[in-house]
Amino acid sequence: MKKSMKFSASFSKFMFYFGNIVIGIIFVSPLIWMISASLKPEAKIFANMNSITTFLPVQASLDNYMEVFSRLNMPQVFKNTLLYIALILVLDLLVNSMCGYALAKFEFKGKGAILNLVIALMVLPMEAIMLPLYIEMSQLGWVNTLMALVVPFVAKCFSIYMFRQFFCDIPDDLIEAAAIDGCSPAGTFFKIVVPISKTVYATVFILDFVSHWNDFMWPFLVMTGENNRTIQLAVQSFFGTQPVHYSAIMAALVVSAIPMIIMFIFMQKYYVEGIASSGIKG
Amino acid sequence: MAKTSKLTGRKRNERVAAYGFVAPAVILLIAFLVVPMIYTVYYSGFKYQIMRPNDMTFIGLDNYTKLFQDKNFWLAFKNTVYFTVIVVPCQCALALALALLVSKKFRGVAVFRTMYFSPQLTSMVVISVLWSVLYNANPNTGLINSILVTLGMEPINFLTNADTAMNAIIFMSAWQGAGYQMMIFLAGLQGIPRDQYEAASVDGATKFKQFLYITLPGLKGTIKYVIMITMIQAMKLFTQPYVMTQGGPKNSTKTLVYYIYTQGFQKGNFGYACSIAAVFFVIVVCMSMAMKKVTAATD
Amino acid sequence: MKKSISFAMALTVALSATASAVPVWADDVTNLTIWSPTDTAAIEEWWVEKLAEWNEAHPEIQVSREAIDRSDSYAYDNKIATAVTSNDLPDIFYVDGPQVSYYAANGITVPITEYFDEETMSDFVNSTVTQCTYDGELYAISATESSVALYYNKDYLKECGVDVDDLDSRTIDNPVTWSELAEIAEKCTTDSYVGTHIIMDHGEGLPYALEPMYLSAGKDYISEDGAEADGYVNSEEAVATTAYLADLIAKGYANVDPITDEFLNGACATMLGGSWDMATLEASADFDWGVTYYPVNDDTKTAVSPCGDWSAAVSKDCENVEAAGEFLQWLMSTDNVASYAAAIAKPATRTSAYETEFMAEYNDGPRALFVEQLQSNAVPRPRTPSYAVFSADYAEAMTNIFSDAASNEEVDEDYIQSELDTVAESFTEDYTTYYAE
Repeated sequence: MKKSMKFSASFSKFMFYFGNIVIGIIFVSPLIWMISASLKPEAKIFANMNSITTFLPVQASLDNYMEVFSRLNMPQVFKNTLLYIALILVLDLLVNSMCGYALAKFEFKGKGAILNLVIALMVLPMEAIMLPLYIEMSQLGWVNTLMALVVPFVAKCFSIYMFRQFFCDIPDDLIEAAAIDGCSPAGTFFKIVVPISKTVYATVFILDFVSHWNDFMWPFLVMTGENNRTIQLAVQSFFGTQPVHYSAIMAALVVSAIPMIIMFIFMQKYYVEGIASSGIKG
Repeated sequence: MAKTSKLTGRKRNERVAAYGFVAPAVILLIAFLVVPMIYTVYYSGFKYQIMRPNDMTFIGLDNYTKLFQDKNFWLAFKNTVYFTVIVVPCQCALALALALLVSKKFRGVAVFRTMYFSPQLTSMVVISVLWSVLYNANPNTGLINSILVTLGMEPINFLTNADTAMNAIIFMSAWQGAGYQMMIFLAGLQGIPRDQYEAASVDGATKFKQFLYITLPGLKGTIKYVIMITMIQAMKLFTQPYVMTQGGPKNSTKTLVYYIYTQGFQKGNFGYACSIAAVFFVIVVCMSMAMKKVTAATD
Repeated sequence: MKKSISFAMALTVALSATASAVPVWADDVTNLTIWSPTDTAAIEEWWVEKLAEWNEAHPEIQVSREAIDRSDSYAYDNKIATAVTSNDLPDIFYVDGPQVSYYAANGITVPITEYFDEETMSDFVNSTVTQCTYDGELYAISATESSVALYYNKDYLKECGVDVDDLDSRTIDNPVTWSELAEIAEKCTTDSYVGTHIIMDHGEGLPYALEPMYLSAGKDYISEDGAEADGYVNSEEAVATTAYLADLIAKGYANVDPITDEFLNGACATMLGGSWDMATLEASADFDWGVTYYPVNDDTKTAVSPCGDWSAAVSKDCENVEAAGEFLQWLMSTDNVASYAAAIAKPATRTSAYETEFMAEYNDGPRALFVEQLQSNAVPRPRTPSYAVFSADYAEAMTNIFSDAASNEEVDEDYIQSELDTVAESFTEDYTTYYAE
């Protein structure tokens, strides 16, 4: 009896891992294909697409990576990209979490209107405001400067709304208690609320990091010149030359994905800390 | 008595703090979203070739009259709604399932989370290029069709047939996007106290019952948020048709944002594109406000 | 909170400080900026080297170039469009051939006719001169050209019993006809091979590579003066030409959805391919291949080939057009054209360039065929300010027609007519809205 229970427990554990691995492979296969393609010579990339062997690197070499590094100043590209994304994210987490907190926990005139504004503005597609926004940048003299990359993208409706949703769930007692202890509203936020909200900060960080890392059109419009090149501009520059060399593109993409993977593995740890601190919230 | 005055003092403090808290975000939103949007609406009243900004002619509501008679606009509208209606439930359900798989701590959890999130780590442009190849109509060159043929089925012209192209894009989008919503669900799941599950399993509740009576109610806010943002993002569908099908075949994957982009930038009808953008904005705002009302009613 | 706000402000101030570091130049020096698409390492080096040479010799005209990382030509046009709106255009920028008329008609570029005398211009191939001329004035100048011809997989064609020696021996006066191409395609189509490859980029590639078919049948896409599409792109001849192409797809001789590198990977027997495809084939094809002239219509036998490439134009925001003109004269000198064309691996525009060592490999062998086509029968794409609209609509119509043919496995001429009518209508609307007098 006991033995069979143990068996069924380890069987279900096996099934759990098995299922995760199968689903995981479906999700990760394009990444594997990309890595494998980045090692192949150009003529082999789209060959054998009808069989699973397309996922295996044949005639593997690092030539494509050599081409990427010879054509582009990758350290400079990484520096440019990480700098502007870091600036956006620092300000993004600060500004949007404050706004989200006020919308969740404070009573003030205009709150409903601001919330509706946030929801409405979420809808605006970048394609619809690109040109007027560019004109604004030009009038401010920000074209070809970091300002144009950073400032318009600090406030984000998605982030504000997400912070608000999360902060709504924080019990009022906790905030009351802090206030009675003499904490100012700002003090309560920074000393009590922020430390127990690592999960939502990590989520916003990850999602916004990824979306900016994949930015192409806006940096393309406002930044000109090799010294200002961001990662997607670097990758896309390979699409512009005929014939298109997918081998080099794949290598550039693998290189460009590395910082994101590192960032993700590091940030996802905060999802566990959320569990540990849920006691405070309960 | 002393307590009340302290409280009203606190309320006043709170109000001051509230404006300080919202001001930076609201100022930035107004400066870089509202102002450009007002310009977009303004330009929609003009005949405006994008290369001739100094030669705009005011034409009143002509762009709008043209818009409501433009069958391509209505087609794009229909396609956008179709995409949204199908993709939102699929993608949200998939994301929730993935999040449940990797919400608890177990050996290798970081690896699986990274795997599920990995389609987000490559740009949409490249994912679209790759899937165009996977979807290739010829079983000699397309992986999916070669599998279908091996299984004794007929090959499908996924992206080159008007009946299947949008569905192919939907499938690929749900797969690609699920990692994004998964992270939000994961964040929400961390907020459900563990002791609730412990108590339930002591009471002998099955895993399914626990999901139904603890997880779902605990995630209510998150689910609403996820559905809302997935819907809004789905309405903005652009990159996939732009890279994979260029809106075709036979307009079957032409979406509103794709239409705005091609009209405004590819063809240079900027004034007209602005009128589509304005109508798009009104439609989606109405939809999200309606959603907010509906979900508020379920509270 | 106060602390955090002041932190944000400090950041903002720091940012604007780095932003305002603009170089200051002396008054008597003209500074010219060039925009052109990012290219291979060889061409990037060419620019650095050549500009250093120019800048040293001309202290009064200092030139710098910015490489633009376009993903597709639409992205590049967006960048130009936004720069136009805010008067941020560089002095000189590169334009794709068929866009020259669009920019010229909208006053984005200025004429440069006076900087290139007749003698100089007679050295440039006709195709590029025509493409860069709008309303009687020269608006752009190019160092390189492009062309398309019929590539074939010799090994596979022999296997299928096609007379490869006959193909090899064709001359420019005796190219393959459409029905011959269809025959070859039929012979070579099997379960694992398709007979031919039609470019399917859903974009500019379609009108570019297919236009000679229409011209050979007797009608161009657009009228000579660039004002009419009705009666041209939807003419009887155009419908028949389109039906021929759709028939190749309906019968399965060509894929409606070909993969990239289909020919290189040995999955198709023939391909209408570009001059730019040759280098890749030479480097990586593991079969014997050949290339012959662009096919002709069976009835007219008129030989036509595509052409057009990126050209340098002077923008409306350029303050010293004379300096820009002087620089372009130097940039388009025989030696510079030759070394640029060699670096970018494209045929040069100047006839004299082929006498230099840089272009040696174009004097005989497969590359000579492209030069021969360019010098004898290349026709540029329609010169009309509404080209961008036409191009997008035509590509869309062709995609629809081909997918219709593939799904129904037969050609529906009424459908072709209705799709091409839509292209003509949309062209007329754009032209009358913005350009008609």
